[in-house]
Amino acid sequence: MSHTVRLDRLIGRKILTGNNRSIGRLEECRAERRGDSWVVTEWVIGSAGLLERLGLGVRLIVGMRGGGSFVARWDQLDLSDPDRPRLNCSVEELRKA
Amino acid sequence: MKKIFNVLLGVVTSIGGFVEAGSISTAAQGGTEFGFALLWAIAVATIILAMLAEMAGRIAAVGKRSMAAAVRERFGFHYQMIPLGAELIIDLLLLAAEIGGVAMAVKLLTGVGFQWWLLPIGLLVWLVIWLGNFTIIEDGVGLLGMVTLAFVVAVWQLGPEPKVVAAGFIPSLPGHDLTRYAFLTVSIVGATVSPYLLNFYSSGAIEEKWTEPDLWINRLTSYLGMGFGSIVSMGVLVTAAVVLGPLHIRVDSYEQAALMFVPVFGRWGVTLFACGLGVGCFGAAIEITLNAGYVLAQSFGWTWGVDKARRDAARFCAAFTTVLLLSLVIGLLGFDPLQMTLISVALTVVIMPLIVLPFLVLMNDEQYVKQHKSGSIGNGLLAALTILGALMALVVIPLEIFGG
Amino acid sequence: MDVVHDVLDQQIVDRNGREMGRVDGILLEERPNEPPRLAAVLIGASALGFRVNPILGRWVHGIEYGVGIGEERPIRIDFSHVDEIGEKVKVDVTVGESRAETLERTLRDWLLKIPGSR
Repeated sequence: MSHTVRLDRLIGRKILTGNNRSIGRLEECRAERRGDSWVVTEWVIGSAGLLERLGLGVRLIVGMRGGGSFVARWDQLDLSDPDRPRLNCSVEELRKA
Repeated sequence: MKKIFNVLLGVVTSIGGFVEAGSISTAAQGGTEFGFALLWAIAVATIILAMLAEMAGRIAAVGKRSMAAAVRERFGFHYQMIPLGAELIIDLLLLAAEIGGVAMAVKLLTGVGFQWWLLPIGLLVWLVIWLGNFTIIEDGVGLLGMVTLAFVVAVWQLGPEPKVVAAGFIPSLPGHDLTRYAFLTVSIVGATVSPYLLNFYSSGAIEEKWTEPDLWINRLTSYLGMGFGSIVSMGVLVTAAVVLGPLHIRVDSYEQAALMFVPVFGRWGVTLFACGLGVGCFGAAIEITLNAGYVLAQSFGWTWGVDKARRDAARFCAAFTTVLLLSLVIGLLGFDPLQMTLISVALTVVIMPLIVLPFLVLMNDEQYVKQHKSGSIGNGLLAALTILGALMALVVIPLEIFGG
Repeated sequence: MDVVHDVLDQQIVDRNGREMGRVDGILLEERPNEPPRLAAVLIGASALGFRVNPILGRWVHGIEYGVGIGEERPIRIDFSHVDEIGEKVKVDVTVGESRAETLERTLRDWLLKIPGSR
């Protein structure tokens, strides 16, 4: 029985590593069309969170360049506990955005 | 040719629609207490308003989104909740104050008590929206509003020294009561740069179906329209300064403010003031009511538009009707309209940074403005404005307590 | 396609271009050993309420029940019905089919009783 989760509630949550450290917040979900469905391909995890989402204009004021984002493949994120999404892999295995 | 006529009409109606409860009360108090020294505040506030309105118009014409829609789509509901909630509260209070302002005007004209007029005026506001379309409403409000030019005529008749008046455009510290001066400066900004005006302007741009080729119309309407409109506001301030200033009073009621016309217009003075106050507030009441409908419908994705058939936009109609009813309840509870004006103006200043910040992002996002992005000057001004807004937001409540 | 940027909070229109609301929520279906699938788009006040806080969501849903539309809320449109994702999200259903316009229709019936309505 597959299990449904509210994507909009996942977004913004801290992503935890194996030893419960947070590497940032879930910012974006990338999907592509396969046949009749849209499937998730990647997750974007950012450390500046809200500021990243706001984009260029705000960085002009605040002047900082966040900590950098990571991109996780769909299978690198464990969503079995939607309140505490965690990585299925080590941080080194993630792609830098 | 037709377009030029429309632009001229747009500019003229903006003049008529500029002053309302907030601008009249802050300009009257500013002029009475500090002479011409706050003219620069009206000028600066108007430039800020025109700049933001032109940007909102650009987003509407190019990106086809109103401000409320653009903020929801670009920032998400979590961000939007706060300015949306705040704007609704401000609109409720300001609407009650505007309807109160019309009621005060009718009381000045007829001598009959003020609260009796609230419901009939509310009903009239509702009927104009229910039966009208965007052009009739905007042009009607603007043309009727030309009676507020009496404030400009009054200045011309009173003939203050041009050099002394001009000095008011240079910011300077007053000799007395710095807290009160600062409070009135911030209030003038809050009264001029109302959040409802920005969303209303962008919704109007969509109702009038502006597109990219119309951007010059947008620039002219926002800068010239609001620029000339501010002359009426300045007229209120100068008249108050010349007539009421020497009396060393604080204008606490519209009855007192009305006295500013007596030396110029004699026994018609109070009547003319009442007409200007009444028409200005009535027009604003219509716009705020309509805007409440716009903001709710656009935020939640309902069909909206006063040009649409009422049957096709039922939730939009229910929204503005409900907001109008709630405002009438607030008014009937007996709150003083002048006080409500000042509170909503202060709240406007508190949320101003949240209103300005989205512009900084949207004006650089191709999805909303395509190639008509804000240049570095525009971005610099917006950034400065956000910071200025944040500073003002911090001081307005203490200033209200100590200087209000 | 960036789901948050391109779909969430965007305007949804039906097959005929009529406004249905905004994407207030998105359901993700997790599948064993396969990438999660975008299952449905959610529309409605309770969907939005839930997004802010689950308790608020239940409360708003209670109000929807009170008003008589609770059964059909939040409106779920299966992602397979999403035709186009651009300036607006176009779906391949009509407003009527999706029960998105119950409130609109009820209010419309009320409003038509007022003279001068068009």
